[in-house]
Amino acid sequence: MGYRAEHLLSLLKTVAPLLLGLLGVIILALPIRLFEGAAPTPIIPLVVVFFWSIYAPAYMPSVSVFLIGILQDLLTGGPLGLWAAVYLVTQFVVMSQRSYFLGREQKVVWLGFALAAASASLMLWLVMSLMSGGLLPVGALLAQMTTTVLIYPLFGVAFGEFHRRILVEA
Amino acid sequence: MELLGQDGREGFGRRANSRFVLILLILVSILLLLSSLYSAQASVFKKARESVLDATAPVLEVFSGPVAYFNGLAGNVSDYFNVLEQNKALREENAELRQWMNEALELRKIVGAYDGLQTYRAPPAAQPIDAYVIGETNDAFARSMIVNAGRAQNIEAGYAVVDNRGLIGRIVDTGARASRVLLLTDVQSRIPVYVEGAAVEGLLVGNTKGKPAIAITEGADDVAIAQGQRVLTSGAGGVMPRGLPVGVIDGEHGDDMMVDLYANYARTRLVRIINYEFPEVGEPLDDVEDGAGEEVVAVTEG
Repeated sequence: MGYRAEHLLSLLKTVAPLLLGLLGVIILALPIRLFEGAAPTPIIPLVVVFFWSIYAPAYMPSVSVFLIGILQDLLTGGPLGLWAAVYLVTQFVVMSQRSYFLGREQKVVWLGFALAAASASLMLWLVMSLMSGGLLPVGALLAQMTTTVLIYPLFGVAFGEFHRRILVEA
Repeated sequence: MELLGQDGREGFGRRANSRFVLILLILVSILLLLSSLYSAQASVFKKARESVLDATAPVLEVFSGPVAYFNGLAGNVSDYFNVLEQNKALREENAELRQWMNEALELRKIVGAYDGLQTYRAPPAAQPIDAYVIGETNDAFARSMIVNAGRAQNIEAGYAVVDNRGLIGRIVDTGARASRVLLLTDVQSRIPVYVEGAAVEGLLVGNTKGKPAIAITEGADDVAIAQGQRVLTSGAGGVMPRGLPVGVIDGEHGDDMMVDLYANYARTRLVRIINYEFPEVGEPLDDVEDGAGEEVVAVTEG
């Protein structure tokens, strides 16, 4: 492989988590209405940001997190900067606790993700309530975050395999 | 997990991921958030939203077909279990609708007779534009849909959007070939409505719940509003036509009157965007009143 191709490949690997996050945002914008809309769509970008911030922050630079959040804000039509702030704060919190999570069991990391999702929900709810001038109902948010936390192990394993086999070794 | 625990050795990531950049970007996001509080309609943000709509519309359009297929599959599974009940309900509804059809045909005849009268001039007809739902924000607080029609189809912000049941929302952003519909349940949604037969005007205020509430702006205090009365768009503000069906009154919840929407967002797939030109004030209403009409025109021009 030539030097140039190798360089391109390494760049592609570095941005692969970013692309996954952007794909997650697109999935959030698709009209998925399983069971008459009763099943909320999981927030996959949150999983992406959390996962790579813990295991390999070099693959999830803050700029990537910012881009994922901004795309989600623009695509959902919500206030600009909200999701970017939520993801970036999540990354900040996760990276400050990184040394604790590294090498722990998956169950512990899952619990960590649940806490991160809870703090993200609190932030979302506070900002949106502040903006709408009244306390908003939390039902829909809770359902969506619970779904996201429940599917985390699945995506955790899939992203782990992806990272090990494709990004690091290949 | 050993390998996962190690930082990548690529220089790009390591340099970019300093804590300084992270905190800087958090500040930038918060600044954006604050500025969008005060200037949600700022042209820069609007442009950005529209470009993102245009850029993602082809992707959404490609995916929305298969997604609809799988939605249908999952829907079918639950349908198998209550197909008998559904059949019965549909037969009853069909019988009821047949009576309505007869009544409507009768009324059409009467309206036709009125139309034939010389003094009557019909209000301008709406220009509907049909579009498919290709995207939907699955967000806890922001409720909107993306449809595959935009400026190329002469769509502008503010147009009403209906499906086969009733009003679903209004256009807020328009790209070249895709637009965003703000649903009635969004926190930011405010639609002027009135309650049929109660002489009450109000605003339908979205609150992210399934049933938005009416904030009454006009109407006597002792007006009795009963459950089941129809709620229609009032046309106040001059954007939407008057009389689009919105829903029915579904009782009070505290001070608010809740509205059970006709729209079922879980099933909305094909929508109709209503391009309605209000008759201009000052335009002569009737040829008979030519003199009066000229006077009005003169006043508006002067």
